[in-house]
Amino acid sequence: MFDLATVFEFTRDTVILTVGITAVLASLGVILCSSPIYCALYLISHMICLALLFLLYNAEFLAVVQIIVYAGAVMILFLFIIALLGGKKEIQENSLERSIAFGLIFTLLGELYLSATVGPTKQIEGTINSEMFGTAKAIGLELFSKHIVAFELASAVLLVAAVGVICLAKFSFTPLKRR
Amino acid sequence: MGQEFVLLVSASVFCVGVCGFVIRKNPLIMFMSVELMLNSVNFLLITYSSFLNSLDGQIFALFIMTVAAAEVVVGLAIILTIFRTRHEMDVDHIDALKG
Repeated sequence: MFDLATVFEFTRDTVILTVGITAVLASLGVILCSSPIYCALYLISHMICLALLFLLYNAEFLAVVQIIVYAGAVMILFLFIIALLGGKKEIQENSLERSIAFGLIFTLLGELYLSATVGPTKQIEGTINSEMFGTAKAIGLELFSKHIVAFELASAVLLVAAVGVICLAKFSFTPLKRR
Repeated sequence: MGQEFVLLVSASVFCVGVCGFVIRKNPLIMFMSVELMLNSVNFLLITYSSFLNSLDGQIFALFIMTVAAAEVVVGLAIILTIFRTRHEMDVDHIDALKG
């Protein structure tokens, strides 16, 4: 009979493989669809796949944050803007520049993968016990003890962004004159 | 699943994001490609924080999410302002700042 741990490991690996491939396919859908609304829907499915992967790699808190912030707030904002501006289809023609771009990107992919896999990653001993790894409590303890300055700076970044958006949206600009 | 699969998924999504940023002309979809790139880096940080048994990667990913949210809001406001003044959505035609 199979060992229970082996079956568990196999199932986990299968799920990670499936969800990872789905994430890559959804990201391909984002850049290959003509209509912006379908791109946004593909991006939402990509975010949800990534949230599942975060869950499988012991990051429960960040999986929830991913769903709320990205799939919730950011993508709804995108959909509002698409609905406001009208999602016109974009004509995609196959030109030489486009083929050159694809070639360069595949070269970049190969280089990234090779440079990441040649050296071994050293296993280090962490200080977090494994039961609460990735939970909101562990993240909060780490955030408010070691990274408190960065946390306060992040609040400043969000405040500046909010004020900047209000300035951009409130004051109307006159159309630019073409030379 | 091993580190190689994670690296491959992350590198693929990052390259797809770069590709989308290069080949698309709609600024909204270019922004979505930027989101793809940020998300792939987030994924790598989180998986390696799990591999290395250290929470620093997850904290870093949290800050990347914060910056990405701020960036998206400002970028969409700029796109909206451009659309209000120009009434078109093709980045090839937005060249008023070109010297």
